[in-house]
Amino acid sequence: MAANFWVSTQRRHWLFSREKLADIRERLRERDKLTHSQFPLPDQRLLNIYFNQQLIKLGKRMSTRQQAIATAQVYLKRFYIKNEIRQTNPYLVLTTAFYLACKMEECPQHIRFVVGEARGLWPEFITPDVAKLGECEFALISEMSSQLIVHHPYRTLSELQGELALSSDEVALAWSVINDHYLTDLPLLHPPHVIAIMAIIVAVVFKPAHPGNFGSSAQSALAGAMRDGGGMNMLAALSDKLGSGPPRIQKLVQWLAESEVDIKAVIECTQELLSLYEVWEQYSEKPCKELIGRMVKSKNLDK
Amino acid sequence: MAASPFTSRSPSMTVASPNTLRLRASAAQNGVVGATQASSTPTLNAGQELTEQLNADVRQRYVKDKKLGEGTYAVVYLGHLREDPSSFVAIKKIKVNAEYKDGLTMDAIREVKYLQELSHPNVIALHDVFSSKDQNLNLVLEFLPRGDLEMLIKDGDIQYGAADIKAWMGMLIRGVWFCHENFVLHRDIKPNNLLIASDGEVKLADFGLARSFADPYLNMTHQVITRWYRPPELLYGARQYSGAVDVWSMGMVFAELLLRVPFVAGNTDLDQISKISDAFGTPAEENWPGVTQLPNYIPTDPAHAVPLQGRDFFLRQFPTAGPVGADLLMSMCALDPRKRTTAYQALCHNWWTMDPQPTRNEDLPRKMGTKKMGDDLSRRGGDDDGPFKNAARQLDFGAMK
Repeated sequence: MAANFWVSTQRRHWLFSREKLADIRERLRERDKLTHSQFPLPDQRLLNIYFNQQLIKLGKRMSTRQQAIATAQVYLKRFYIKNEIRQTNPYLVLTTAFYLACKMEECPQHIRFVVGEARGLWPEFITPDVAKLGECEFALISEMSSQLIVHHPYRTLSELQGELALSSDEVALAWSVINDHYLTDLPLLHPPHVIAIMAIIVAVVFKPAHPGNFGSSAQSALAGAMRDGGGMNMLAALSDKLGSGPPRIQKLVQWLAESEVDIKAVIECTQELLSLYEVWEQYSEKPCKELIGRMVKSKNLDK
Repeated sequence: MAASPFTSRSPSMTVASPNTLRLRASAAQNGVVGATQASSTPTLNAGQELTEQLNADVRQRYVKDKKLGEGTYAVVYLGHLREDPSSFVAIKKIKVNAEYKDGLTMDAIREVKYLQELSHPNVIALHDVFSSKDQNLNLVLEFLPRGDLEMLIKDGDIQYGAADIKAWMGMLIRGVWFCHENFVLHRDIKPNNLLIASDGEVKLADFGLARSFADPYLNMTHQVITRWYRPPELLYGARQYSGAVDVWSMGMVFAELLLRVPFVAGNTDLDQISKISDAFGTPAEENWPGVTQLPNYIPTDPAHAVPLQGRDFFLRQFPTAGPVGADLLMSMCALDPRKRTTAYQALCHNWWTMDPQPTRNEDLPRKMGTKKMGDDLSRRGGDDDGPFKNAARQLDFGAMK
């Protein structure tokens, strides 16, 4: 968490409007229509879920910090708004993003170790030649214009924990919501503090009846609660700043009103998260794995 | 920022794509699909040309002149803006291992990482980053032609006084304060990393060892900071530390500016500890609660223990600083890092507002012959690992988790 977010390269160069982002992706598609029709890929979010699960597998074997995984996910996003995924070997790119993110988050792993572990997971797609990873690292840095520091919402969450008197269950749930937001475009759309506040609101408003172990994702705990709509009304109430509902939530709403945080953006984030949880229900690893495998193999991107 | 050839610092970082291109091209090389993808799909090519063009635009803006020096992970060239041959820049070309064997070193990564984000008159500016055809990352840095503080300290022909030291220290502490304010530890402050711009401004350079403050309770490596400037807590192997490490280094630079020789110059880490003890007092539980718990703490024979030095010692040892200056120095050299002053507190010290006032930049002593830039450059060029020399620069992969 270095430097000041407000003057950071993240804020200046890596936050987009929704329209701008759609426009960038449309251009990538236009440029390469043929490949797009030859190799259809699932919804971006489903792909993100798949990539994230692969990253977690890779990270687990090396007991990596969550923050490095988060940084790696942001690197992937940044890389793939400048590059057509169908021209790359996603397994190599994600291994590289992981390797670079570990260095950035001060938990470096040796390149041989990373390649070895990656080969253990995806032997068909990662060559034993470590030079490939080194080369890809260079490309990744270049494509990101060597702007490597990523500001994450986790820090804001820990800072607000005391101020908002959050229970440890609420913090754990909000933490998982933050983990989940990397599966969407939100890291490219909103500053980290907005995301953190969204996660806190979601955790407080939708706190599931049976707290406990949420795992690394909040999906299973929240999807149902968010869908049944009760909480959405409460969220709607946030926007008129009147504050209805239980006192706990009123207090939060009041704090928000005084905080000058962009409440509209917070609500937009909540909706994005909700729609992620909807899409998630269709997720199955098999088609993602097969489609990517077919794409990489038939285009010989793994060499 | 007067040294900058640019009106503002606008790092229009449009880097590379030839690399990606190569990444893809090499991906197709052995393939059944044959040919290189880039050429077989013209639409794609057009798009890549766009990003490549942006990179080329940046690269085109600069002309590389001669080599200034070479370090372990980079070669530094003098360069200039194509459109204005009088505006110099330093181009630091990061060596990428020919075979990409080990990936980019942490030094290179750190330098890029932090300089991209930090912008302050007393921190070297990164103007641009571009990649060259031979797959190297090039950092276009502010060119600082007037050498470094080490050269001034060592040059017997140069006379300087308390007002000059006050000016230099002020610039140094402001630069470090800014880093700390942004949660960055520099971890390699020493006179030869303090470069001097053409207008006399001192700039903090070489961020190859810098890192962000760690989250509480997470360990960092203690193998940082060149020995003579390394604080006692690092010599004792502390894995959790703060901006106080940089403050100690600044105290050592301050002392060296006053004495014109390094104040505590140990030959080994052990020798360094004993020299520090002899000079400032032996670290013990009474003056530094908890010190005996540090991993590499070595108890001193009580017979040889030196009591903690007080104000008198600093006054005697550093008369040129004056009583108030000596007081500031003492606060920067507190053995216990918790008692050491912070960069911010140091900037609030009375010394700055007392006479003599700090010398204005244009009146600061300069190294003779620097008007002839060549002399200066040949020194830097000749001193092979000059700006990069760093004994402590080792990465401890296992320990940094």
